[in-house]
Amino acid sequence: MMGISKRISSIKFALLSPDEIRKLSQVKVITADTYDDDGYPIEHGLMDLHMGVIEPGLRCATCGGKVDECPGHFGHIELAMPVVHVGFVKEIKMFLDATCRSCGRIKLTDDEIRTYLPEIQKMDFETGDPEDIEILTKKYVDLASQRMVCPHCGAQQSKIILDKPTTFREEGTNVKITPKEIRERLERIPDDDLIFFGFNPKTARPEWMVLTVLPVPPINVRPSITLETGERSEDDLTHKLVDIIRISQRLRESRDNGSPQLIIEDLWDLLQFHVTTYFDNQTPGIPPARHRSGRALKTLVQRLKGKEGRFRSNLSGKRVNFSSRTVISPEPYLSVNEVGVPERAARELTVPVIVNQFNIDDMRELIKRGRSPRDQFGRYVTGVNYVIRPDGRRIKITDQNAAENADRIDIGWTVERQLMEGDIVLFNRQPSLHRMSMMGHTVRILPGQTFRFNLAVCTPYNADFDGDEMNLHVIQKEEARAEARIIMKVQEQIMSPRFGGPIIGGIHDHVTALFLLTHNNPRYTHEEMVHIMAYLEPDILPEAKIENGVKYYYGRDIFSTILPKGLNVRFRSKLCSGSSEKCEFENDPSDTYVEIVDGKMIHGTIDEAAISPFSGAIIDKIFRKFGSQEAARFIDRMTRLAVGFITYRGFSTGISDYDIPESAVARIEELVAQAEDRINKLIETFRLGELQPAPGRSVEDTLEMEILSEAGVVRDESGKIASSYLGLKVPSVIMARSGARATMLNISEVAGIVGQQSVRGGRLNRGYYNRTLPHFKRGDIGADARGFVRSSYMTGLSPTEYFFHSIGGREGLVDTAVRTSRSGYMQRRLINAFEDLKVDDTREVKDTVGSLIQIKYGEDGIDPTRSARGRAVDMNYILFDEEKR
Amino acid sequence: MASLLWRDTSKNISAIMERLPVNYALDFDVPKDIEDGYITINRKNFTYHVVISGVMPYSPETEAIAKKKSGLKSIITIEKVEKIEPLSVMEFRAGGKTLETIANFEVGERQVTEIREKYGENLSEDVQNVLDDAKAMGFTIPESVAEEIARRRQEWGEKTYRNILKRIGEEIGNELIDPYEAVGIIAAQSIGEPGTQMTMRTFHFAGVREMNVTLGLPRLIEIVDARRIPSTPSMTIYLKPEYETNDEVVMDVVKRLENTSISDVADIITDIGELTVTVRPDPRKTKDRLIEMEDIMNAINRIKGITVMEDSGQIIIKPQQESFKKLYLLQEQIKGLTIKGINGIKRAIARVEGKEHRWVIYTQGSNLKEVLEVDEVDPTRTYTNDIVEIANVLGIEAARNAILNEALRTLQEQGLNVDVRHLMLVADMMTFSGSVRAVGRTGISGRKSSVLARAAFEITTKHLLRAGVMGEVDKLAGVAENIIVGQPITLGTGAVDIIYKGYPKTKK
Repeated sequence: MMGISKRISSIKFALLSPDEIRKLSQVKVITADTYDDDGYPIEHGLMDLHMGVIEPGLRCATCGGKVDECPGHFGHIELAMPVVHVGFVKEIKMFLDATCRSCGRIKLTDDEIRTYLPEIQKMDFETGDPEDIEILTKKYVDLASQRMVCPHCGAQQSKIILDKPTTFREEGTNVKITPKEIRERLERIPDDDLIFFGFNPKTARPEWMVLTVLPVPPINVRPSITLETGERSEDDLTHKLVDIIRISQRLRESRDNGSPQLIIEDLWDLLQFHVTTYFDNQTPGIPPARHRSGRALKTLVQRLKGKEGRFRSNLSGKRVNFSSRTVISPEPYLSVNEVGVPERAARELTVPVIVNQFNIDDMRELIKRGRSPRDQFGRYVTGVNYVIRPDGRRIKITDQNAAENADRIDIGWTVERQLMEGDIVLFNRQPSLHRMSMMGHTVRILPGQTFRFNLAVCTPYNADFDGDEMNLHVIQKEEARAEARIIMKVQEQIMSPRFGGPIIGGIHDHVTALFLLTHNNPRYTHEEMVHIMAYLEPDILPEAKIENGVKYYYGRDIFSTILPKGLNVRFRSKLCSGSSEKCEFENDPSDTYVEIVDGKMIHGTIDEAAISPFSGAIIDKIFRKFGSQEAARFIDRMTRLAVGFITYRGFSTGISDYDIPESAVARIEELVAQAEDRINKLIETFRLGELQPAPGRSVEDTLEMEILSEAGVVRDESGKIASSYLGLKVPSVIMARSGARATMLNISEVAGIVGQQSVRGGRLNRGYYNRTLPHFKRGDIGADARGFVRSSYMTGLSPTEYFFHSIGGREGLVDTAVRTSRSGYMQRRLINAFEDLKVDDTREVKDTVGSLIQIKYGEDGIDPTRSARGRAVDMNYILFDEEKR
Repeated sequence: MASLLWRDTSKNISAIMERLPVNYALDFDVPKDIEDGYITINRKNFTYHVVISGVMPYSPETEAIAKKKSGLKSIITIEKVEKIEPLSVMEFRAGGKTLETIANFEVGERQVTEIREKYGENLSEDVQNVLDDAKAMGFTIPESVAEEIARRRQEWGEKTYRNILKRIGEEIGNELIDPYEAVGIIAAQSIGEPGTQMTMRTFHFAGVREMNVTLGLPRLIEIVDARRIPSTPSMTIYLKPEYETNDEVVMDVVKRLENTSISDVADIITDIGELTVTVRPDPRKTKDRLIEMEDIMNAINRIKGITVMEDSGQIIIKPQQESFKKLYLLQEQIKGLTIKGINGIKRAIARVEGKEHRWVIYTQGSNLKEVLEVDEVDPTRTYTNDIVEIANVLGIEAARNAILNEALRTLQEQGLNVDVRHLMLVADMMTFSGSVRAVGRTGISGRKSSVLARAAFEITTKHLLRAGVMGEVDKLAGVAENIIVGQPITLGTGAVDIIYKGYPKTKK
């Protein structure tokens, strides 16, 4: 039934008292056996039917429920002798230390109790900070432990020694204090004194930490599994409980028929061992209990702890239904808001629709189609997989029963229909490092076997198509669908909260294409223009200019057709940063500043700074002025235009991009030779002991530093020479200068020289005795012997150079591997520490306890996502926009 | 020090009011003649202004006893607390733009809050007017923007001025953060996500190429860990303007800062046969560190129970008592002997910066407290990258700013663009309790109020067992615990309830 959902308001923690354990128990387990010869659970055994059922067909003896209905019930074991609970050994030690061995009072004087009582009473045990309470209790316990005479009864005290993990004895004696004695001592402690130990007498008595009764968890918690061979295999916990019952029984028998004390003690210790490992099988100081095969048992603590434990693996994150995963591939003709779903996935994934008076006829129609309907052209059409009756029974729809079930449905039934175009789904790629790693997309059903999406969305997912897989989740509730549409949809995530700029935009060829389309404003004939714009479905055509009787369309005008009316922006392009010429707004020979007035591009070159993720100024401003819908439309059309243009024009790169004239090669060689001379001279002065050390550095360090900087200089200089011959006509340079891919540095590595290889910021120096490779003389510290690569990637590397280059490359790989794990852990800690913070309606930042973290979020209350790259006001833009309005 | 630490941890304001009038201790150097005034109580969650009166006359006897008991700096006894009023962290911080103002922030200096209301300190009247106009229109604008507007107001004319101001108001209105936004998670993601793109290379040259500083991801981790000592502590020391350009003074200061021990400048040779220790200064090293023979002699002469002989540039030391043990001890003592300088400053290097030939001293190793005591040092600009040290010397607000600056610098140096607001939140979260707390199980996460959230993070069993004996109650207010029990979290759209009253049921 739908209604106002229930909410757990709080969970209270406490210790179970022996009485409670018995009350909770449905059965007293007395035999260590599980099943009889027929495979039927033995009564009062560990698999007693009172503790729940795991076999289909049987019913629970307590609640009468069947397998999925019965939640399971506890049983209990009466231990022959009390044993210590490992988890509380520290606390038991604390009590034994700080209370009197004869009267059980805390060894604080009445005066001290009077002074400290208000202090500790003030603390809120239920919701207060446990660390604060611990500081106080430690103070009392330390004080009380030092007293060797009880201030209340005057009894002489002795120091308690804990022999890890669970044995206690009094100092000076070799006799241990048995758990029984411990329990008696703990029983003597009055309730009123417990508060000084950080114990809440209402929820925990100290003697409860010494177990006399052991709860037996429900069978559902420790199901046995039947192997193919028909053999039964019990859960680790059951194994452990069997051990406990066996030893407990033997101990009871030995005690009752008066066996020697030694045997009893041995058995008692064994019982202690089994109970200890039942709780925690990794207790330091004792060998872990093992399975017959030698595998350590997974007992209670191991079930909860760590990444694969219950908390992190099953409670904080859960497996889900209605999801699918497959390889991803690009599809430039989809909108950024869409995702292409393969038919096979769409047939499996369903959306529940509750039948009501308005949709009942449609639903009947859907059901009639059966499970794999197609239209007259053989295209995918939504079918129905299941219908669910109001009582929760599921009916599978098959092509045979479809018509029949279509008639049976009524208001209140639920129809699980297959995915449909326009459904909103969540799409996700791991690692999910930020919220843009999971966004809402609308479904497009496509042939093929892969998920497909627009290339502009690669950046937020950090995806590429070298075999990446992604997950898709179908939302099952109307509420969630609404939130996904309003909050999670791709267009709502265009702006990154990290820096207040777009994180979705054109990449690689999009940038190259629009750069070529707009740089120096080329013109195209009508036919060319139609080819370029064919995929755009434009509502208006660019303005034609007639020259010599021929209609021409200019690149910028073509680009302008995708800009919204009313857009005014002015910014420097990426080209500007690498330009040798000045780029001022007024005088701009290299065509590098962009001016758009009222949605018409009048000047400049579109490149990285305009449309790409992280920098894209146009996307930024469209989003700000016209909203998410318009921004998404711009990105969709921008990518289509770019793809249309670059497919028409063609764009290719190759080794010939890096051809430079002989003279330039000679100049680079000369540069390298000169640098080598300088390096040799440095080495010479060093050898003569005349090198002046830099302040605070040894001579050797100074030499290395000087050589490194020389090597850096040659690389840069040769790069400059090489790139001076490579103009904006060269495809590789176009890519680098427009910001599509690579940098000028990469180009100079191909055409100029590769330069010095390094490990940990220094030249290569490890390998053989006093040399890096046997190709060099011992003690050679010249450029070549220490990883200087004088070749370019185009000429190719010599064998030694290639080897050095691989060394440098490996450092990068190792670095990446180490970094991902380290930063992953940092992020987990950050998220955990900050997950509870929220802004309230007065823009104060508070945590869950209500502590005030910030009076006004970020000191100005501004959302970084909506800010202009962190600033509240972008004056330049506002002034320009106001001026052109 | 500016902040007063009231050693009490209860939560309720009214409860404080009731309990305040009795004697309580303040960790603060209070002027002895104070009668009444304001004091600031820096509590776990709030900062209060407390108006007090009737301060008990200062008496050395009571103070001595109390001091010993509590370990506090100074004790005053207050008879009555008149009123407690919340004082915002912001206002408090406003006074602390420079270290100097923090240092001068004293008891009863209430004006600090008023200055802030007048928008910062030295704003011209024009700028004030623009700010006032904006305020009248219902929003506040950043001072830098106000300055630009004020500068161009004449040129625009009154109508355009109003229009532009209105437009700015609209923009700011649209940019405000949504209530119940999960700002913490966004901040954590915004800092964590670029972590994958940072370099791991620990050492890099910064400022002076002779000096190494940890940068990149290791440094960022170090900052959020709130390490007691960073892996490469270093200081940037500025001198007071009058000394800044004076080469001699600078060199003298450097010499006084750098901690030099005998083993830094000399070889120490122990002769077991003769039972002597010989110190042989290395001329190159002594020259480098500007050490004279005399300095070494002075240092050695501080040791008692020895005979010292100087012989052709060597110093031969003989313990008066002849025993191997003594000799060994002597050798160790000499090795660690400080000739001069400040503890912890391993190396100091001065560099000229800017066109005006101003010297800046960079150090390896950090000791803010003692460096600030050097007369020539300008305490308002001198800086260390040791956050915990800043917290100890300058107080928690300074530490908050240090975390912010260090984290921002680390990210920017890597070319990563992260909004300051995220870093501010991290800094505030790490410091709001009054001490610097690490991000992780030993700090913020370990002190969460929810048992389940703590258990889900790290050290699961410890928290569960403790919750049992203490009878803790998990209020299920946070994110992790609600996910664990399987109900909606209380952030964002989960923080509000919408109740829809449907149409009354109609009969079919």
